[in-house]
Amino acid sequence: MQLRVPLLYVLLCLVLAGLIHIAAVLALPSLAPKNAWARLVPLGPANAMIQIPVVAPGQEIMPMMAPDVRYAFCRFDLAKGPVRLKGAVQNDLWMIAFYTSEGDNFYTVSGVDMKSAQLDLVIAKADQAVAEAGVDAPEESDEVFVVKSPVEQGIAMIRAPLAGPSRAPGAEEALKATSCGPHAS
Amino acid sequence: MRTLFQLIAVFVVALMLGIGSAKYMIEDGSPLTTKQVGPWASWISEGNPNTDPYTKAHLARSGRLPLTSTTARYFVAHTDDTGYELNSACEYSVEGSALNARWWSIALYDEHGSLIDNPSKRWSFNSEEAIRRSDGTYRINLARNARPENWLPTGDDTDRKLVLMLRIYGPRDIDTSGIGQIPDDRLPKIERKTCS
Repeated sequence: MQLRVPLLYVLLCLVLAGLIHIAAVLALPSLAPKNAWARLVPLGPANAMIQIPVVAPGQEIMPMMAPDVRYAFCRFDLAKGPVRLKGAVQNDLWMIAFYTSEGDNFYTVSGVDMKSAQLDLVIAKADQAVAEAGVDAPEESDEVFVVKSPVEQGIAMIRAPLAGPSRAPGAEEALKATSCGPHAS
Repeated sequence: MRTLFQLIAVFVVALMLGIGSAKYMIEDGSPLTTKQVGPWASWISEGNPNTDPYTKAHLARSGRLPLTSTTARYFVAHTDDTGYELNSACEYSVEGSALNARWWSIALYDEHGSLIDNPSKRWSFNSEEAIRRSDGTYRINLARNARPENWLPTGDDTDRKLVLMLRIYGPRDIDTSGIGQIPDDRLPKIERKTCS
């Protein structure tokens, strides 16, 4: 008839529960098998611009993708040097977002922030030198913009929000014209 | 012998409490990580490199790749304004007003985050295409069969859980920590109409 639980057990239980809670929360990101990186890697090689297939029922690469946004991404790998993104930004709504493989969005440029419609930027690690405009770069690379990446491998994702369904072909066309590859020079 | 049983019991209870609370705080969020406005929930520092471990775990599990809250805000609703789960057995009216942002879109998904197949291939309405009244307000009707104004089809299935996502790109009101601000009263009201 002894129903009284000793205080010591209650305390032990709470401390243990707290430790298990912390361990579970910290372990989960590396245990989640299908994070965004794992979903995007199979779509194509590194350092190439890849268009994500148009979102359709049952064919989503990631959950809750926007049906009225067109997406293209470059999985950059800076092991052999900086990587360059080029293309023409179709309108102010475009957003180019940079992520680590864990999904940390460390930098974003939007169409409105850009001085010209020409997208031309270089992704480099902090210790990688890039010929900056005006130093020893040729004239035409005046507008080159350098994004410093905290990681060697990551994702550059371009989002092209649509102003209406009739704009989809134009956006897909414009995304197809963007490129990603090793930064020559 | 009794002590051993008691210790095992303590461990089992601790395991359930620890895992259960972690699961809850990662899946549903808590006031530390999420902002709840009526039926709408938003993970405040999703995608932010300096975010907390709960948000990081939530993001990894979700499989999504969201923009940080300085460039976009995402609000998700699983229920109507009265707290009932959204279901394709019912019809809903989503009433919203203008948002101070470059672009926004409301999209409808099933509980797995997939689009719901429908003949008119209509899955979302955005700020450029939704039919709006002269004061900027709009109504989106969720229903199985065609409805006037903006109609988002909920599919043929009569018992499907529904999820709404409002994504807001380029919010213009930014607070001191750089987070895009959306006033609470600007988020759409989700009212249940009829159920079959």
